Formats: sequence, C-alpha cells, structure tokens
Amino acid sequence: MIKRKLTLIMENKPGALVRVVGLFHQRGYNIESLHVDPVDDFTPYKFIEEQLETKFKENEISRLTIQTLVSDSLMRQILRQLNKLIDVIAVSNEETTYLKGVLLDENLL
Amino acid sequence: MGTKLKLSGADMLMHALHDEGVELIFGYPGGAALHIYDAIFRQDKIEHILVRHEQGATHAADGYARSTGKPGVVLVTSGPGATNAITGIATAFMDSIPMVVISGQVASHLIGTDAFQETDMIGISRPVVKHSYCVFDANEIPKIVKEAFHVATSGRPGPVVIDIPKDMTAPDNLFEYEYPKKANIRSYNPPVEPDDNQIERAVTEMLNAKRPVIYAGGGAIASNAEEELFRLNEILDAPVTNTLMGLGIYPATHHRFLGMLGMHGTYQANMAMHNADLIIAIGARFDDRITNNPSKFSPGAKVIHFDVDHSSVSKIIEANIAVFGQVKNSLSAIIKLLETKLDQYNKDTLQPWHDQIKNWKSSHGLNYELYKDESDENPILPQAVVQHVYNITEGKAYVTSDVGQHQMFAAQYYHFDEPRKWINSGSMGTMGFGLPAAMGVKFAFPDEEVLCITGEGSIQMCIQELSTCLQYNLPIKIININNEALGMVKQWQDMNYGGRHSQSTYQNSLPDFVKLAESYGHVGIKVEKNSELKSALEKAFSMKDRLVFVDVYVDPAEHVYPMLIANHSLEDMWLSKDKKT
Ligand SMILES: Cc1ncc(C[n+]2csc(CCOP(=O)(O)OP(=O)(O)O)c2C)c(N)n1
Ligand SMILES: [Mg+2]
Repeated sequence: MIKRKLTLIMENKPGALVRVVGLFHQRGYNIESLHVDPVDDFTPYKFIEEQLETKFKENEISRLTIQTLVSDSLMRQILRQLNKLIDVIAVSNEETTYLKGVLLDENLL
Repeated sequence: MGTKLKLSGADMLMHALHDEGVELIFGYPGGAALHIYDAIFRQDKIEHILVRHEQGATHAADGYARSTGKPGVVLVTSGPGATNAITGIATAFMDSIPMVVISGQVASHLIGTDAFQETDMIGISRPVVKHSYCVFDANEIPKIVKEAFHVATSGRPGPVVIDIPKDMTAPDNLFEYEYPKKANIRSYNPPVEPDDNQIERAVTEMLNAKRPVIYAGGGAIASNAEEELFRLNEILDAPVTNTLMGLGIYPATHHRFLGMLGMHGTYQANMAMHNADLIIAIGARFDDRITNNPSKFSPGAKVIHFDVDHSSVSKIIEANIAVFGQVKNSLSAIIKLLETKLDQYNKDTLQPWHDQIKNWKSSHGLNYELYKDESDENPILPQAVVQHVYNITEGKAYVTSDVGQHQMFAAQYYHFDEPRKWINSGSMGTMGFGLPAAMGVKFAFPDEEVLCITGEGSIQMCIQELSTCLQYNLPIKIININNEALGMVKQWQDMNYGGRHSQSTYQNSLPDFVKLAESYGHVGIKVEKNSELKSALEKAFSMKDRLVFVDVYVDPAEHVYPMLIANHSLEDMWLSKDKKT
C-alpha cells in the first residue's frame, strides 16, 4: 500500500462531491484526506476545453484532490471508476490522466 | 414562427416523455406525485399502468426494457413510494438495464425539514443508479428528461432517477416548452468505436488460437450484437458459452453452443473455459459466479475482453487485449478484418478441441431423460417441468424467472435461441422479480407467449401483482416449481451445513395457490403426479386469454448440478450429490 494523490476536475453540481466520496466508501477504497476548490483560472485546463469542445465558465467546475492508500493493482480500477461518474470531467494520478473516453500518459491535472 | 407551448412542470414532463418516445409508465400515485398524476389524466398519449407495489413497477419496467431494449419508465411518490422502488432500481443497476425512475419529492421549501413522506431519494438511490437528477428549476425539466434517457440508454446502460419536488410540477406555473433534440453532456462520452490497433491484435490472437472459447454475456445483448456474434463464429467456428445474463445471444440449439457456464454451468462449458488457450470475452465481466477462485481461473488462457465499460476490464481477470467500444461495433470491426485474412485461418485446426469438448459433453452432460419418467411412484423432477414447458412452447416463449433452484433449472433446460427472451435478475438475484417482469414483457409483446418460472418462495414476494394482471388482462402463464422450501438455501444447508435446514421450510403454512389464483380472478391448476404433468401444462397453455397459475409439486430433495466447488477452479464441480470431478 502506498499513499497516492488523485486529482479530479468535475462539474460543480449539487451532489457531485457526494458521488465521489460515496464511490470510495462503496468500493472499499479509503480516503486519507480530501480537498475541494472552485476553479477560477482555466488556463491549466485549456487542453480539456479543447478535447471536450467546450468553454468553462465561472463557478462551473471544481478541483478535488484526494490522498488515498492503495495497492498498485487497485489504482487503475479507482481511476476508471471515478472516470465513469457522469459529473467527473477528468481524473489523474501521478502517471496518467483519464479525460472521459481518453487515456493520457501523464498527470495533466 | 409559432409561439411556443406554455405548460406546467407536470405537463412538460408528460410532453417530454412523449417526445422521448415513451409509451408506457409503470407507477403508483401519492401526495408528492399528484400534480404529475393529474397531468397523466389529462393526456392520452402515454399509458400508465397501476401496479400494486412500487417494487412491482420497477421490475415491470425492467422486464419491458430487457425484452424490448427500450428504457423502462417508472413513476412513484416520495418517501415510501421511493424507498419501495429501490430494490427494483438496484436490480436494474446490477444487470445494466436502461430505466428512468421519476420520484415525487416534497416541495422545495420543505426539503430538509423531515416533512411528511420526505426521504432523501437521491441519497438512498445513489449507489444503485448510473446517475440521478433533482429538479431545482422547473424550466429544466425537458433538458433533464432528455439527459436522463441519454445516460440510461447509452454506454453501459443503467437506471437514472429524476427526483421532482412537488412545487416544480404545480399547475399554475407555466413555462415555455421545447424538447431538446440532443442531450449534450460534456463530461459524459462513453466509447463507441474500437481502437484499430486493438482490433488488429485481437484478430491475430483469434487466428492463432488452438483452443478458443467465446464467452458472451449480457453486454452483448445490451449492444444488440447477436448478428455480429453469429457472423464472427461462422468464421471462427469456436465453441461458445453464455453467462446467465447472456443466454440467447448465441442460439442454444447451435452445435457449437456449450450451454451456460459458471456456478451451475454445464460440465463442458466450465471445462472448456478452464482448458482454453484463448478466451474471447464479449460483454461479460468475469463475475465471481463465473470465475470461481480468480487465481485458479483458466491458467493457460489469453484473454481478449470486449466491453463498453473501462472499469469492467481487468477488474477481476487481467485482459491481454482490451477492446473498448460498443461490442456491436467492435465485433463488426473484427469481422471486417478477419474477412480479409480468411486464407490464414483453417477451421480444421480446432478439430482436436471440438473432439475433446464432445467427450466432456457425453461424459457429464445435462440429463435429458428425466421427463421420460412418468411413473407416479416417483416424485416430479423440477428439471422435467422445465423440459415439458420448453417442448410445449417450442422454445419460443419469453421466460421470466425468480431466484433459486427453479431459476437455474430454467436456465439449464429452457434453450433460448434468441436474445431478450430470457428475463431474470442475474446479478442482484432478486426474489419477486419474475411476475412483475413478466407483466412488463407482456405489455410489450401482447401476442407472444410469456411465462414465469418461479418458486413458491419467490412468487410470494410480489404476488400482489396478480391483481394488476387482472386489471390489464395479462394472460401470463405462471409455472410455480413448488418444492415447499427455499430450495436453493436448503441445498446450501445440505451441502455446507450438515443438512441443518435453518429457516428454509414453512411448516405447512403455504397458501393454496389454486384458490389464491382464483380469488385474484385467474385460473389455478395443481399438479402432484408425474402422469398429470404434461397434460396439465398443455391445458394451461391452451387457455390463451387467461392467466393460469400452475402449481407443480416437485421433489423437495432435488439439487441443482453441476455446482462449482467454492474457492477452486472451474474444473472443480459437484456433478451430483455424491460425485465430484
Ligand atoms: C429478496 C431475496 N431474499 C433472499 C434471497 C436469498 N435466496 C436465494 S434463493 C432463495 C430461495 C428461493 O426459494 P424459492 O423461490 O422457493 O425457489 P427454489 O430455490 O425453492 O426453487 C433465497 C431465500 C434472495 N435471493 N432474494
Ligand atoms: Mg421453493
């Protein structure tokens, strides 16, 4: 088990955070710490806007970071489960980023 | 330009459902949903079916969805109406069935005050829905409906809840109605077309396999991939097995079909999976009822996994090649490439593998001689009941089932040649599913034979729906395989708990099902002797316009075999009470 940091960009919608936290509980993953902020500077996320052909507006998205203790084999499963949540736009760990259907080979968040 | 229609939230909901193509809603009224119920009264495009319990509504919508491929729609009130729907929502979720559930909610200003019939439906349903919406602005009802149906039916399908506070549907607040042409959810983009590179790798493995097995599940049915699967195997000529959820996606009477695999799968299906060198998994997810102990699962096989859901692949069994996309599209791509390489493939190289399978089949195949025993000294065998039903209906009926031994006998002995005809709660294993699911199927296919193979335990969990069947004149045939026990529980107690039947029998407290059916206005037939079985079933099926409840007393001691031995491999099975592999 290693401590890992996950970063999520998600729609700032009612219930979105609960879905993320609930997923951790439901699937038996643990949460060491959790932090959420609204995103107001979109410059780091230009690539998401381009990929999804969208334009983020103020208060529309939030950035969530989660520290979790997991084995390597579980890591990919957690990323995929998080990526499946409808309100989650992108999720990354140290090595990979899932941007909806697309898997990118580095941490871009 | 014409002026836009001005409608209340409740009327917008009905218009939106109609514009979405909904024809049927299964539901049950109550305070928080009454504005919506009034809107239902004032329109004539969508039919509402009044069930007798909200669980029945969800299973009926589920049966409708499984048999048609179209989403099932449910309407319930807040509080107890919503919580009663949860079991059915979870059942649909676990089997990836498209469903939209609309729940009334207390008025917005009362939310959080412990108001009468307030319950946090979004919270309670969250772990068992694909997604959910709460309406905070009535203007958004058309958009939310559009999105809900899109989410429920695309990618890996599933149930979606729309929770609507009562004030959002108030008759006096009018809004301009327009139904969106398209759902546009930027954060939702399930894969459709496969990656060319993976297709190429998969084809190479297929061409080189000596002992391939095609293992297809419910995902192949959800993707309507039966023609592609059939064409693929015209080329490959590989043995095919289906999961409990996949039965019918490949014709059961085809000579390459091995039967179902897994916990109660056939000997040859489990042996073939264990000894394969290539497993071609198509819309199947290596459930624990399939793999037995994953670390002992099919030691020599490479795995190609076709699925629309990233998280289903390499979750239990690591895939060597993962092909993401709608499996229908992925198989089309495979076929297209294979067709250019036919000269590199020789079906004859599989002959030793087919010979081996034939051997397995002849040594421990399912017993088809059972129904020939018509002497009354012997009790009726449950397998024989299913075989008779299969013969009488010529294998063409829609068959719903409940959960237990009868379900496994139905899966083993009713041979489905087409998808969407076998309707059962696979992953949740929800007792009470069968009868309401059969109603949903019968509404969708009024001219087809629809029957429910159930047990005296399961049928009592939604027996109230017999009343719905009378109101809407649904001539379903119910085949109650009555072993006077929670048979599957009892079987486990026989095998693992020294025969201690803790709470699995009823001490002569069963109702007289014939009288019960009659009191609901239907026909009841009781069968206790082998010699009466066939004629009783024939009589039941000859009554085309009546619901007939056939209560068949079977051997209470019978077990379902084969049965995997827990924590071992797929090769390790009980074949009968005293024989294992
Ligand atoms: C709602 C629900 N409760 C409990 C169970 C556990 N369970 C699985 S099979 C079974 C027995 C079912 O009895 P019956 O319907 O008579 O079928 P049989 O096994 O006797 O054919 C039970 C209790 C379940 N699957 N669903
Ligand atoms: Mg029983």
